[in-house]
This record gives sequence, C-alpha cells and structure tokens, in this order.
Amino acid sequence: MDKNISPLKVALHGMNGRIHKMMTMYLQGPCKSAAVVVNENNAECDIFDADAMNGQKLLAEFLEKASHRPIIVLSLNEQKLVNVLSVKKPIKTEEMLAALAKAKELFHANSFAVTETPVVSASPPPGNVAPWVSYYAAGEAKAAASEAKEDGKQEPAASEPASKKVVIVSDEQKKTAKNRAAMQLSEKSFSAFIGSTPGVDVNDLSQIHKANYNPKEYFQGYVDSAFKVSRAKGQIRQLNSGWSPLIIFPQSSEVWLDAEESQLRSFAGLAITSTLGSKMSVTPLAQEALTATRALEKFYSMDAFLWKVACWASKGRYPVGLDPTMPIYLKNWPNFTRLLVTPHALRISALLIQGPRTLPNVAETLNIKPQYVFVFISAAYALGLVGQARREADTLMQSPEIKSSKNQGLLSRILSVLRGKKE
Amino acid sequence: MSQYKIIFTGPVGAGKTTAISSISDVPPIKTDASASDMTKFRKNSTTVAMDYGMMNLPGGEKLHLYGTPGQERFDFMWDILITGGVGLILLLDNSRADPFQDMRFFLETFDKFIADTSVAIGVTQMDLSARPTVDDYHVQLQGMGLKLPVFAVDARVKSDVSLLIQALLYTLDPGLAEE
Repeated sequence: MDKNISPLKVALHGMNGRIHKMMTMYLQGPCKSAAVVVNENNAECDIFDADAMNGQKLLAEFLEKASHRPIIVLSLNEQKLVNVLSVKKPIKTEEMLAALAKAKELFHANSFAVTETPVVSASPPPGNVAPWVSYYAAGEAKAAASEAKEDGKQEPAASEPASKKVVIVSDEQKKTAKNRAAMQLSEKSFSAFIGSTPGVDVNDLSQIHKANYNPKEYFQGYVDSAFKVSRAKGQIRQLNSGWSPLIIFPQSSEVWLDAEESQLRSFAGLAITSTLGSKMSVTPLAQEALTATRALEKFYSMDAFLWKVACWASKGRYPVGLDPTMPIYLKNWPNFTRLLVTPHALRISALLIQGPRTLPNVAETLNIKPQYVFVFISAAYALGLVGQARREADTLMQSPEIKSSKNQGLLSRILSVLRGKKE
Repeated sequence: MSQYKIIFTGPVGAGKTTAISSISDVPPIKTDASASDMTKFRKNSTTVAMDYGMMNLPGGEKLHLYGTPGQERFDFMWDILITGGVGLILLLDNSRADPFQDMRFFLETFDKFIADTSVAIGVTQMDLSARPTVDDYHVQLQGMGLKLPVFAVDARVKSDVSLLIQALLYTLDPGLAEE
C-alpha cells in the first residue's frame, strides 16, 4: 500500500477473539493495510460478521442507531440491506478491497447516510480467495451446524446453497461453563482464588503432618460420594445439602448447579459435616424433575466440578488419605484444558509422570512452595489420578535428578510467551 | 541466529491449520488446495504442502510452527519438516472412524523424532463426538507403554493450544522455570 494513503479505520463487530485477530491480520496482510482495526469510537467504517451467533442482532441494533458511517457486512448470504456494503463469503481479497475503497469514498463524501449504496458483487468469480477466509467460512458453518453433520462424518460441500448452512448452535455448545477453556492460576492469584488455612503454615515442612485436610468433612466428600452412587446405579441423582441441589447426570458425566461460582467457592471451603451433615442426602431425581428445562450454561463436567471443589476444600493442604513420607505417582496426565490449572500443575504432572516422589521432594525438586504441590495433588487425588507407592523399593530408591534440557533457555522463553509474559 | 520449530501433525481435519493460526504472531501461510479425493468428505480444502506460523520470542528469536500435510501421500515432506524440531504436537479428530488407529499411525511414523524430543496429544471435535474419552486414549497409550499428555482441545481456542504446548515443554524438562 502507498504509504501516503492513510488506511481506513474500521471497527469489527460480532467476531470472537480468534476471528477478530485473523481479520486484523487479513486486513494487514492480503489487503495490504488498506484498513486498520481500531476501537468503535475512532472508526470510519464498521464491519459485521452477519453469520456469527449474534451477528444479525448486532447489525440490526446498529442500523437502528442510524450510523453515519459506512457499514460492510460479511456473510455467506447476500445481504439486501440499504446503506450496507455486502461482501459474500468466502471472501475474496479483491472484493474486500473494493468494499473498503467504497466505504472510504463514502465516509469522505459524507453522503452515506442519505443515499442507497450499491451492493458489491455477490457472485464470486473464481480464484483469489483468501485461504483462511474460505476455511473460516466453511469451518464456522461446520461448527455451528454440528447437528446437521450426520454421525460426525460428513460436512456440507462448499457449493451447497447457503440456505442449507443454517446455523444451529447445539445444546452442547451452549453449555458454556462445561466447555469453558481452562483457567490458569498464577502464584499471585492463588490465595485470592483458592484461599488459605489459618493456624498452620502449609509451606513449613516441619509442620507437614498438620498440613492435611479430610475431604469427607467438606462438600468435596459429599460430591465424591454422590458421584460414586450415581455412577454405580447409572441413575440421575440429586445431592441435597440445604443449599442449591446438585443434579448429577452420570451418563453424560455432567452436573447441574444453579449457583454463582463465588457462592460455590465459599461453600466448598467450609467444613460442613458438623453443621450440615445431617441435611446431606443423595436421592433419585423426582420423575417430574427429570424432564425439567435447565439453563444450559449451568452444566459442568463432573471431573471439572469435583476438581475445582477439591481445590477449594484443600486451600493448599493435602488429603488425609496420603502419607507425605511415602512416594506418590500420577497415573496419567489430567485433562488440563478443561480443569482449573493451579500454579505449577503442569510441571508437577510432568515430574510425577516420570516416577514416584514424596510430596516434599516434589516441592524441593521444582523449588516451589509445598502448597502448590498439595493443592494439585488434592484435586488429582479426588479424580483418582494419584496413587501412593506401597512397594518397599519405591521408598528405598532415591528419587532421580531431573535432567535439564539442553534447550532450557529457549524452552523458558517459549513458556514466557505462551503465558503472556515477555522477559 | 538459531531457528527452532514445533511440528503439528495429525490426520486430515484434526485442526492443525487452525491451531497454528490460534497462536501464530503472523498471518499464517497456508498451502491449501481443493480436496479431490476421500478428503473432500471431511474438508473442502486440505493442506498439501505445509502450514506455517511463527511466534516471536524475547531477544528477537523466532519459534517456527509447521503443520504437516494431513494426507499420508505427502509424507515425504515430513522428514524435512521435523529436522531441528523442538517437539511434536499430535492433533487427533475424535469424530473419525478410528482415532486410535490414527494415533498409533502418527506415533509410529514419528517414533524416532518423539524419542529424541517429546509429544503432546490434543483431541479435537470432542463436542461433536464425546467418545472415545480422554481416559480411553490413556488406556490405549498405556497399552503402548506410554504416558503422554492428552488434552481435549478446541483448536480455535488459544489457551487450549497454549496449554498443550506448555505440557510438551514440561515433558522435555519439568524443571523449566514458570514464574
């Protein structure tokens, strides 16, 4: 692009983080910086993805506001709206550039709001399709129309009429809490999110025998027990606690709870046996409740729920079922992308996968506070991923030194970028 | 300046291209072509040469992200791609007919590279096909004498791809400083 020509300032609407980033790159790369993405207040033009889940709604609301800026709409279907420049997906760079040029012309002529504007060609000539855009269009339709995909084996062909690519967001995709990506806790956010136990310094290894907790005294123990009953019976069950009931669906490995996370965190952190123990019960779900409509965003995976509840009960302590003087091992890696990732959890996993170690040895080897080891072990133990080595040989053998990678500096730099830190 | 790379591999439609796009600092370079054989039933286009992305590292270094072609007939490219690789990300499409067979194929194909480096496995499309579960993958791996990171992954989600790569790096060296 000619450096003397200023790029059109555009705001993007109805695009998630990834698409927003790709669109930014697309304007910068294939469109040769003909436009630059800015925030809405500084924009000269607005670009909408009409096929996004709420794209049409956003567009309708925006049009109602009678914006004086040109609008470009990206869509699989031709948009027959007045005062709107339409670019049909899969987007071709030359059409996008034409729309941007037209938008710029309109913005500077300041005539946009009162005239009907032509629609940019909606029938794509062959060639020059930005590859990622065509893939995105197909991919989005595929993801959204998952229910139309028979047995998960066949996707609609690109040449199918757009009307067949009806966006159907499945119930599974609406379970936002269940499918939420992992939260990676840092050391700084640990105490605020996980909590602490007064009266014992869990990081003082001389007090290690006091740094434990009994899961059975906490909500964790009741949840764990209810899960086992529900799974054994293969039956939808309800855990009653005098608080919000927890409904367990063993077939789909889901739970449903009508409560805010902050409420759950507080409740899970309380030793409740002495106060609420008599009120706790696990009952089959009443027949009329089986067919009740439930808010999909309040479904959680059983594993992720129990893992989190265990973290909040632990508060940096280890469960009484484990002997801190005996080595423990990890049966397999936890599914971290769907779990709360406590500080150093990935390192601890990688170490314990190599072989058994005692809890203090893990902390010493990785040079981290014991509370980070304990909280991770508590959660992994709750899911049955941790075992205690009982063989005499395991206790007699010294834990091996970890071998440092010859690329340690490089790997650390990659990590710092992945975790959003620049050295 | 040294050049480092992470290799993304897996069958057609597993999300290699998308995963690279999710974490690349530059617009990903793709070499997709229209699918004309069996792959057309899974994707409208497929990667016939390779995908390329890049992460900028502190100090001006760059980490190159390469995606292997999903189709086995292009496997002559793979040896070229893995030379100098830091590790392998294996993405598996859970909706395929036999994802375990895919897993075995790729682990065996890259066995020497994995022995020299490491591998982390991401299972995609689990929202479309919940089974096999991640636990089922672990059972299969245990049968092969392996204990590898296996995560459910949405290749479009940066944090999913990031965690998978972090796990790969820690398997190479658990002592890496995190904070």
